This record gives sequence, structure tokens and C-alpha cells, in this order.
Amino acid sequence: MARPLNLAQPISASAASVQLRMRAVQFSLTRVSRGAGGRMRNGKMAADGGRATLPCSFSPKSQRFLALCAQDGRLRIWNTDSKTLQQEYVPSAHLSAACTCVTWGPCRAVQEVPQRKRRKCEAGSAPEQSDLLALGTAAGSVLIYSTVKGDLHCTLEGGHSGPVNSVQWHPEDSVLYSGSDDTHIAEWDLQTGKVRCKWKADRSAVSSLCISPDGKLLLSAGMTIKMWNLETKEVYRKFTGHSTMVTTLCFATTRPPDSNGMYFLSGAAHDRLLSVWQVRSDGKDKNSVVSFTLTDEPQHIDLQTSNSKDEAVRLAVVCKDGQLHLFEHFLNGPCKKPLSPVCSLQVSTMKGDSPVPVPLLAAALCADRQNLMLAYGHHLQPVMEKTPFNTSERHVCLVRDVHGTLSLSVDTAVSKVKTPVVNKQSKVLVPGLPGHKAPIKLTPNEAEKRKKTDSTTEISIEERLEQIELSVEGRDAGKGSSSLQTDSFAVLLVQGLESKDERILTKIFQTKKEMLIKNTVARLPPSAVLPLLEELSRRLQGHPFAALLIVQWFKAVLTQHTSYLSSLPDLVSQLGSIYHMIESRVKLYQQLTRLHGKLYLLMTQVATNNSAEKVGNISHKAQLVYEEESSDEEEGSGDEGRPEDDSDNWEEDEAAMEVTEDKKNHKDDEEDDEEEDMNDESKANGDSDLDPENESEEE
Amino acid sequence: MVETSDIRVVRCGGSKVNLTPPIISSDSRYPFVLCTSGDLVKVYSTRTEEWLHSLQGHTNQVTGITLNPANHLQVYSCSVDGTVKLWDFIDGILIKTFVIGCPLFAIYVLSVIVLSECFQLVSVHLPKSAEQEVEAKEMSAVSSHISKNPSCTAFGRGGEYIAFARHLQLNVYFFRKQKTYSFSLKATDKKGAKNAFTCIACHPTDDCIATGHEDGKIRLWRNFIHKKEYTYSTQHWHHNAVNTLCFTPEGTHLLSGGIESVLVQWQYGAGNRKEFLPRLGGSILHISASSDGQLFCTSHSDNKITVIESSFKVCGVIQGLVKDAVLTDLMIDPRSKALVLNGKPGHLQFYSLLRDKHLYNLDIVQQEYIYEAGLDQFEVVKAAFDIKGSWLATVEERGKKSSDLEFFLKLWAFDERTQSFVLNTTITAAHTDRIISMCFSSSEETTMLVTAAEDSQFKAWCQGADADTQQDQNFWSCDFVGSYHKLNPTNCSFSADSSLLAVSFQEVITIWSPDTWEMLTTLCQPPGVIRDLCFGRLSCSKYLLGTTTKNLLCCWNLLTCELEWSTSVDVSKLQPDPFSENVAAFSYQSKHTDLFVFKPSEPRPLFTNKNVCSEKVHRAVFVPREEPLNSCDESTQWLNRSQLYFLTQNMDLLTFSTATEEDRMLSSSKQLVIDDSVAVTPFYLLLGKHRQQQQKLNTQSHPVSDKPQQTQGSVTIKELLHTPAHVLPAASVLCSMFVNSFLISNTGVQQDPLRYFVHIRLKSNGFSYSVMHLLSISLKFLNSFI
Repeated sequence: MARPLNLAQPISASAASVQLRMRAVQFSLTRVSRGAGGRMRNGKMAADGGRATLPCSFSPKSQRFLALCAQDGRLRIWNTDSKTLQQEYVPSAHLSAACTCVTWGPCRAVQEVPQRKRRKCEAGSAPEQSDLLALGTAAGSVLIYSTVKGDLHCTLEGGHSGPVNSVQWHPEDSVLYSGSDDTHIAEWDLQTGKVRCKWKADRSAVSSLCISPDGKLLLSAGMTIKMWNLETKEVYRKFTGHSTMVTTLCFATTRPPDSNGMYFLSGAAHDRLLSVWQVRSDGKDKNSVVSFTLTDEPQHIDLQTSNSKDEAVRLAVVCKDGQLHLFEHFLNGPCKKPLSPVCSLQVSTMKGDSPVPVPLLAAALCADRQNLMLAYGHHLQPVMEKTPFNTSERHVCLVRDVHGTLSLSVDTAVSKVKTPVVNKQSKVLVPGLPGHKAPIKLTPNEAEKRKKTDSTTEISIEERLEQIELSVEGRDAGKGSSSLQTDSFAVLLVQGLESKDERILTKIFQTKKEMLIKNTVARLPPSAVLPLLEELSRRLQGHPFAALLIVQWFKAVLTQHTSYLSSLPDLVSQLGSIYHMIESRVKLYQQLTRLHGKLYLLMTQVATNNSAEKVGNISHKAQLVYEEESSDEEEGSGDEGRPEDDSDNWEEDEAAMEVTEDKKNHKDDEEDDEEEDMNDESKANGDSDLDPENESEEE
Repeated sequence: MVETSDIRVVRCGGSKVNLTPPIISSDSRYPFVLCTSGDLVKVYSTRTEEWLHSLQGHTNQVTGITLNPANHLQVYSCSVDGTVKLWDFIDGILIKTFVIGCPLFAIYVLSVIVLSECFQLVSVHLPKSAEQEVEAKEMSAVSSHISKNPSCTAFGRGGEYIAFARHLQLNVYFFRKQKTYSFSLKATDKKGAKNAFTCIACHPTDDCIATGHEDGKIRLWRNFIHKKEYTYSTQHWHHNAVNTLCFTPEGTHLLSGGIESVLVQWQYGAGNRKEFLPRLGGSILHISASSDGQLFCTSHSDNKITVIESSFKVCGVIQGLVKDAVLTDLMIDPRSKALVLNGKPGHLQFYSLLRDKHLYNLDIVQQEYIYEAGLDQFEVVKAAFDIKGSWLATVEERGKKSSDLEFFLKLWAFDERTQSFVLNTTITAAHTDRIISMCFSSSEETTMLVTAAEDSQFKAWCQGADADTQQDQNFWSCDFVGSYHKLNPTNCSFSADSSLLAVSFQEVITIWSPDTWEMLTTLCQPPGVIRDLCFGRLSCSKYLLGTTTKNLLCCWNLLTCELEWSTSVDVSKLQPDPFSENVAAFSYQSKHTDLFVFKPSEPRPLFTNKNVCSEKVHRAVFVPREEPLNSCDESTQWLNRSQLYFLTQNMDLLTFSTATEEDRMLSSSKQLVIDDSVAVTPFYLLLGKHRQQQQKLNTQSHPVSDKPQQTQGSVTIKELLHTPAHVLPAASVLCSMFVNSFLISNTGVQQDPLRYFVHIRLKSNGFSYSVMHLLSISLKFLNSFI
């Protein structure tokens, strides 16, 4: 589909060009087959090396648009700002005469320049805009497309008998040059749409054209590179060196040709070298002065000339293998060695686990000299990206998710809404979860404290063991009567914690019997305490009703294993998060109790008014309040030792602790002792109301 | 007034495009949309949504545009400056100016009728004159009791009558009888419906007036020619006021729209049969239809025009800068250099200032916005980018009262793989009260976000401080909570190297070290609550600037912790330039805003611009230039590397433009004239071949006999085609001339009329469509003749 006309092309006279021609034909045949294959795979990346080189070009100056002719013969204009498809144009002859080259026109003023006198007129917005595109077709005509109108501006016909290979706009005048397979160059007058002048440029096809920035010279390439004087249409210079068809030509300097500073570069098919030529006034310019090494034949080049002497010329070359090579060089006479790129850039995507290369389509150097505009991916859905120009690394590989962005829908262009990705991997922080508040860390003078307590730790371990034994004995002594089989789940719990068996754990944690919980926790080996604590804090973050049960377990753990816990210095952060959670949960408690009290008053009044005293259900409510009262105390205790509080306050706390619990001579920090405070109280609470429940059960 | 010579204030970002109903012209090659925008009329292409050109000439707000009924390639526009102008909108040429003399608020053309100053409906006779500027003095008042809303007046049935409504009364004025009939409704009916009129549309061919009402009802009035025997039928779908009504040109359908942003198409005469096009975004303000009925246009409250095909498919959106409810600061996306601010409800809009074009809306809230009055919905109130553009923090909030306040802090990471923002962390109730200020640290290594809220705390959020997430993704979590004497913070700011954080608590500024979270010092010199805070940059990084509510601008030296200098200016906005030492301060005094640009090291301003605008400025931003200017003039040097944009209270986005910039623009702009000739239509392909063949035949067989006819025919054609479209005589005159020319040629040799058609079609390039119309008439005529 790409170029069927190539086959019907009359074969040129010279033997060498016949060979060339044949190769080109073969090549185009392989292109066709590959292109079709790529299309059959329907959108999948054709990441193989020999893709069809389809015309593709960024708009000049600000790279606002990317014009791309895909395999289906349509011209698509992509907006690089919003990264959406801006326009799609189907040339009426897109199947018979495929588009062969695309060139953006020079910037022109679309609207009037703002008046200077008026104070608050609209700013001269979008002052430089290039809105015209010249498309060369395989039928020999040139189409001028306007992006503002979204339609053809005019068609230039009757200039060529063969496919147009290159189109170039004159930088100043409304003149267009086109080079074709019919060995001619045509000069078009755009004001009339007619050929102004046409001349035979070469013995073989004219494959590439380039106009000097001042608009006085034209480079053409066929078999040889020729430099034409545009005023007289005479050959100014000839350059020979490439053995294959020259595909790219580009002027590298803006300086006038009378000095020796005029450089241009050329690249040819199957040639992995870009040559730089110097136009010398003495005519000693038969050989190229500099060459740049590439990994494959150049496909798209962009060059940024230097504005001052200490700025290097920058060159971005996209090769046929889909890599981008960046060069920086001071054009200053000949250089023997081929230059290697300062940076090679490649884009890849992850297919499963293995990276798959994604071919680059085009690259452009941004005017701010810091960024690069890239286009990569499939021709039907290119991805545009601005990346910083970074030459510190020689090889850069950008890993991009091309498949995720590949969806052939144009809806975004109409609605103009971009939806950022929201997936399940994002985290939700609610009050109470760790991270919502500042983590409780060991206070800065923690090191000193450690030192202070270091001497006493050895004793404290002994004492702790003793204490555990004591407590175990005491409990055993206190409850000899209760049956041994049902009063503890300790073994089951350890098993559940070790195997992380959700079923067992849920079953265990569903128990409501205070005594049972106490016994279970007491019989836990110290090694199981930490996992239990983690499990409990995980479950505590769930539904508040589940928390009702979990709190009891928590209480038991803290009361029974305080000494063990306080010996673990890194537990602070974890207990801190639990503390935060409790704090945030009980934050509204005061208001709720107040509301409850008011409601209670109201309800009782209504009840008394209506009939005889009937407070059964209210007493039932009171039981519920009890549960929260315990947490209220937790809150109360929490307030005493807020971690944000000053350290003097804290010292007092510690002193108080030493008075009350002189037995425990362990290292503790504020968090622990506040937890202990809380524990003591809650323990007292638990005991006091444990009895009625027990009694009722015994009954 | 000290006006600096070469810096001037210019408006940018365009004005409202939704003030008046847009016009679609579908007669030319490309359908255009015309809309008013400030003192311009802008012409857009419907196909590409691009701004083609604008009609410049009015000196004040343009209030109405309407197509010239006599020539559909011309448009009338009226403006508050008291003139009516006639334009050729395809080429953007001003044809005529009619000076009326009093401010005009709407225009309804038949014999131009204008709604003027004290909301009188006045009929103005436009005198026929060859002059460019004509004074129109022949006026006759139709009514002085009309509604301020221009959509409450409409012409009916080719201009036989005019219907206008005000409050609860519908008036119909018959031009022929010179009589006004009025019909009134009760204020409310039994069910409490509000019956006030909101809009009117008249059927193009039938005697029927459709009226929209405040409660969402649409009434179709008939038989109103007789004062007593009028009838009306009621239809009800809209739940809120009907904003606009429009009949299609054939009169087969009635279109209505309201706050629901649903376009409703009622089938005329078929009772309740209707079609809907929902979720157009923004409440519908105006609807218009193209003369061939193929395209509809709706303009929306969010500064947008939607182009809709007659099959009810949206085919284009012309989006201006949404400036209605800007709650966030003006920001610059470091990646795309686009201006970021509130856009659609719940979205952030990205607007390219360089190209003056809306890029896209980023959906932050991700909840369907329901366009209904009185609903409390989530809105983005704060947003901030980090210095590299890889993080975006947004705060969305709902609940006006503090008791039902609900807000989320969301942190979005820019994912380079997918090239889009990805939600990283959502923090519900990050504070217990409203977040007042939010800023990212400005160092490149570690990003840190600081939020200050009304719960007298500020929180520092860090990435990856959370220990128990073992995944490869780093989530944000709180690193530090700070407060100062239970005072409410008012602002926070990081120094340029992020080594210091300044948080102001009412009158006191506290300086913290973000590494250790130690409070380093407090500064509490001035009386009054601190409003703005900013650190100096580069060579002035040792200074901290603050403004207070008591009209003080203070500068502290952070090395000595002393007040360096202070002046008495009422600063409404303090904006540091991220690319230089300069700081811009907008001060509002006695009904105008002044701008001072200064360096923190010295209290002398570098640049002063008095009377920048007449409203307060609350938001401003420095935008980096793509290419730095190199002006050496001291007064413009501060604009070399960046450009200052600011938003006034009237939601005008203004900026400064320098002479060097304009010179550059002038020098670089050149007119590229290109012959605009395309006719590759299927029609052409078909007939063009036919013609070419025939021409060949002709040239081969009888070249001699063909020639005179060609010239004969082409004289009239030339005459016709080489006169500009707007000076052409009436179509009826032309038609007969045309047909005559054909008749002569036809008597010579029997020829296909189509051939001529194509011939002219080809030649007429520039305004082929104007001729097309004529031709089709003449062809019909010819056919009947032959």
C-alpha cells in the first residue's frame, strides 16, 4: 500500500541508478509487507527494525503539533500540549497516491499585530504560528493543508510526473520547492499556485532538498549533492561522497557563504554515518569534514544552530532502529575521527517482565535548549513527551507504558477532560491510621536515657521473670476452681498466630468472656505477644463493632505483658499508632456523651409523661456506654502524657511512676508509662465489672 | 499618573465567549462560529475549533451579533459604545458603521431593532448610504417595558410581530397593526410554581410562541392574534428555570436548555416526544441553530461553546479560559509550563498562556457534577505543584459551614510511564478544620508538603516515612505536627533552599528547621495579622518578607533576626519571582491597584506602575519565558526572564507586555500570501473530468466556434466575480443577469448547462458559495427552460 507506483516507475538510464532503483523497489516491497503485518496485528507495536519510514514532522519553533502520515494514508495532527489527536485529514486520493513527505510551512502572522497605542487590548497572543503543511504525494502533486481550517488550503498540480520526494518552503517568500523522482526540481509560486520554474537537477531522482536559512541557496541530492544558486538557478557547488541515495540534508549554520563557516550535513540510505560538509570559498571542499556515527540509517534529524560562539551545535538524530542519538559539536574545521553521540536514548515498554523496545518516530530540540520533544510508539497512536536534555549519561532508556495509552478513541479531543489514574494501589489515610499523624518517635534525649537505664536492665530482666512467675502463680492460686479446659485459648491462639489462620483467629477474638481472655493472654508465651499485638492493632483498624471485642484483648495484653513490652524499645512507634487511633476514635466522645445525656433526659421525660416508668431499654443503653467509658479513660490518660508536651512535664510523669511502681525499674519512655497508666485504670475497671458478668454466667 | 514608557498592561486569556448567543454560518466552505468576546467578534472554525480571526473595531463590550438577513455573508454587531457595525466576516472587513448614540444591549435584525440603555426596545431604521460611517437617527420606540434579559425578546414569522416578556407578562407587538397585545399569568399557581418568563422563541413559519419559565415549564402559545381567544399548552421537563429556547430553522423541533446542562429537543406538534443530550458541562445559556439546521451551538456558563450535529452528537468544543470561580492560586505546571487553576467544577484546568489555548481539564474529584442549584458538591480549593512537577497536591472540600465540612487532601504522582498523574495517597480529614495554606518544599532532593489549617496546627507530610509499607511504592504520611500557642496559622512558606520553613500564626512568624523540626526563632514585630509570607531568593535569600492586615510590608533579616525595613503599603498580593530576586507587590488603594516590583535587599522599588487596574488583585504568578528577553532598560529588566500574570476581582487575566517583545513580534511576523484554492470535492471530480473531456473535445473539433461564447459568458461572470461580495447588488438582480448570459450562450451551440456550472464553480474560488446559491437558482431556471 505504501508505494505501488514505484513498481510502475520507468527505470532510469544509467546502470548504477538501475541498481539503486531496484534496491529501492525491493526495499519498498519489504516495507509494504511489514507495514501490512503491523496493521494486521492491529495496534500492537511493530518494534522490529525495518519499519516503514513514514513522513512525520514536528511543527517549527514551539513544537505545538506533530504531523504524521500513517500507513492508512491519513494525515493526523497531534497536539503535543494536550497529547491528543487534534485533526485527522483523509486526502481524497490517499489510497492511490500516498503521502511521501511532510513539511511545515514557515511561521506567519495569522492575525494583526496589536496596536501599540491602545492600553488594554488583547495581548498579541499566538504571534508566531505555523499553520500550513506541505504534503508531497506519490502522484506528483503537492497538497497544502491548513491546520487552522482543518482542510486543504490548495493543491499544486502539474509539476511532476513522478512521486515527490522532498518539499521545502522558502523561509521568506511564498515559494515552495519540490524534488521528485522525475529528476526535476520545481519552484512553485504559492500566490498563483503555478509552477514558476522547473529544471532538471540530476540524472537520477531528486531524493532530498534543503534551503539555506537566508533563502539564497538550495541543496539538492540525487546521485550527488548539488548546491544551487536560487537567483540564477545555476550549480554553485557539487559534493560527492555518498555511495547510496542521500535521504537527509540539513544546513548547520546561518552564516553567509562567503566566509568558510557554511556547513551542512547529509545522511544516506544504509549509511551509518552522517557527514558534515564545509562550503569553502577556495573550493577545497571535496570531502566531508566531520562525520557522526549512528547505529542505523538516519530517519529524522533535528538541528539546533548555535547562537553564540561558545554554544555547540546540537543535533538529534532518530535512526531507523528507533534509537535517538544526540550530538554536540563545535563546527570548526575538519575532524578526522568520526564523532560518537554524547547521549543515546531509547524507549522501551514492559511486556510481561521483559522490556520491549519502542521505536522513536521523531525528536525535536526545544527552543529553550533544555528539553527534547519526543514522539514514539505506533504511527496510529504516537506518544509525545518532553524530556530534559541530559547529556550526563551516555545511554538513557526510558521505560514507558505504551500499551496503557494505546486506545483508538478520539473522545478526549471532544470532551477535553483528562482523567488521572486512580487505582487500588493508592493509599487512603484516615484519622487513626499510622501516618495520619506524626509518628511517635523516641525523644531526642533518648540516648542519654538509655545510658541511664542500661545498668539496671540486667536486674530488671531477673525481676521481670520473677514477676511473671509471681503473676502466674498468683493467678493460678486465685482461680483453682475454674475448669482447665475451657478457660484459655492460649495454645490455639499461638497456633493461629503462627499459621496466620484467619478462621481460628476470628473465632478466638469473638469470645466475650473477660476471664477467658485474661487467662488466654496470661498463658501466652512472650514470643507470641508481639504477633498478637500486631494482629490486634490490625483488627482494631476495622469496624468499630469489632473493635469493641478487640479492646478487651488489648487491655488484657497490656496489663499482663507490660513488663515484656516495655523492654522492647522499637515498640514505641507501633504503640504510638494505636494510641493515635484510639485518640482519634474517642475524639468525639465528649460531644457524644453530652448528646447522649441530653437525649437521655428528653427520653426519660417523654417516658414519664406518657406512662409509668419504663426504662428498660435505656438501662440497656447504659451498658453500651460502659464499654466506651473504658475508652474514655484511655483518652483521659492519653491526654496526660501527650507526646507533644514539653519534656519537663514528662519528667514529672516519670517521677510519679517511680513512686507508684517502684518495683519496675525498667527503661520506659513516656508512651509506655502512659499506656501503663491507662492499663492500671482499665484493669481496675475490668475487675469491677467482671464480677457481675461472671456471676451471671455461673448462674 | 507616571506611566512608564514601554510597559503596558494587556489582557490575555481571552474574554467570555458565552455572553451572547453564538452564530453558525454554514453557507461558506467551512462552517464558522462567531461569538462575541470583549470588544471583539471572534470567528472560529467548527471543524478544527481554531480561532481564525477576529473582527476588531468596537471600542467597548460587544453585546450582540446577528446575521444580515439580506446577505448571509455579512453580520451586524452592536456594542455598548453605541454603534452598530456591519462586517464581512469571512475576510474580516468592516463594511459600515452606524452610530446610534446610546449604549446598545442587544440587536434583533429585520429592520434593525435594538435594545438600548434604559432597556427600551427601539426600532432603528438604518439609512442606506454609500458612506463608511452613517449616523442613524430615525428611531421609534416599540416598548419601554422589556426585560433586561435579551433572550426575552424574539421576532416571529418573518418579522410580522415581535414578542417580548417581562416578569409575568407576555407582549406581542404587531408591526402591521401597530398594536400590542399582552397576556399575563398569575404569579404562582396552586402548586406554587413560579411562572415568571425567562425566555422566548418564535416559530419560524407557524403562529406559535414558545416561552420558558422559572419553574422549568415550557408554554406554547397559539392563536394570540386575537386578544381574547389565545390558548397555550404546557410541557414540563426542566426542574429549574429554562435558560434558552430555540426553534430549528424548519420549525420541526424546539430546543431548550437550562442549568441541568441537558440539551432537550422537543418535537414540534408531537406533544411530549423529546430527545436528550446530557452532560454537556456547565449550564446552557444560549442555543442557536445554523440556517440549514445541520449544526446547533450551545454556549455554557463555563465559557464554552459546544458545536452539536443535528444527529445529537457533539462534534466540537470551543473552550475559553474558565475564570468563574477561581479558588486555587494561579500555578504553573513545571512540566508543560501551562497555567493551572480551577476549571470545570471539580477539575483543574491547564491553559497554555504561550498559545492562549485551553489544553485540558484534569479530573480531580472524579465525581459526576450535578448541575443543580443549592447542592453542596466537592470543589478543588487548593492545589500545589512541587518544583519538578512530579507531585501535585490538591485539597477538595465541601460544606460551607464548619460543622459539615468535609475535605480530602490528595497527592498525585506524575507517572512517566503512562505520562499522567496517578493518585498516590488520599488523606481524609488531614486536619480537623479547613486547610488555609499549603506549600511544597523547594529543594529537588526531598519533597515535603506543609499544610496549615484553622485547627491551629500545621502538618508536614513526607514521602515514605511510613515504616509498615513494604511495597515498592512510597506513600505519604505525616512527619510532624506543629503548633504555636494554639494560634491559628495564616500562611506558610519554604525558603529557596528548603532549609527553613516560615509559618505565620496570627501576628507571629515562627521559623522552623525542617530537618530537626526545631523552632528556631519567632518574629513578631508588626501589629496586625500576617497575610502573606515569602522568602527572598538568590542574593536576597537572607530576607523574609511579610505583609500584614494593618497595611505594613515588613522585611526581616534572618541572620540578625531583626526587622530590616518596613513600609506602609496595603499589599493585597505578594508574589516572588522564582527566577530572580524580584518580588512583586500589588497594593489596593482608593479604587485602583498599584504594582511595585522591588528587591528585598532595598526598600526602593525597581519598577512602579500606578493604576494597573481598578479592582483588587488577589492572585498573581510569574511565568518563565521560553526565550529570555535581553532588555537593558532598568524598568523592564525585571520582565526579562519571566512574565507576570495576575487575576483581578473581575476575573480578568492581565499581564505586562514590553516594547522589545512587541518589536520582536513585529519583526518576526510576515504575511505569507497563498492562493486559497481548493475544489476537490467529489462533485468536482465527477464533473471536472466531464468538463476536461469536453474541453478536449471542443478544442480538438471546433476551437473557433467555442471561443466567442467563452468570452461572452465570461464578461458577466467576471463582472460578478471580481466585485467584492459585500458590494454586490441584490441577488434578484444578479440572477436575471446571470441567466441572461447563459441564454445567449445556449442559443449558440447546444451545450450542457452543467458545463457552465463547473466552469464558474472553478473560477469563483474565493467566494464560490455565494455564487453557488445563485447558480442553483439559475440552473433550475435553465432546466425548466430547456
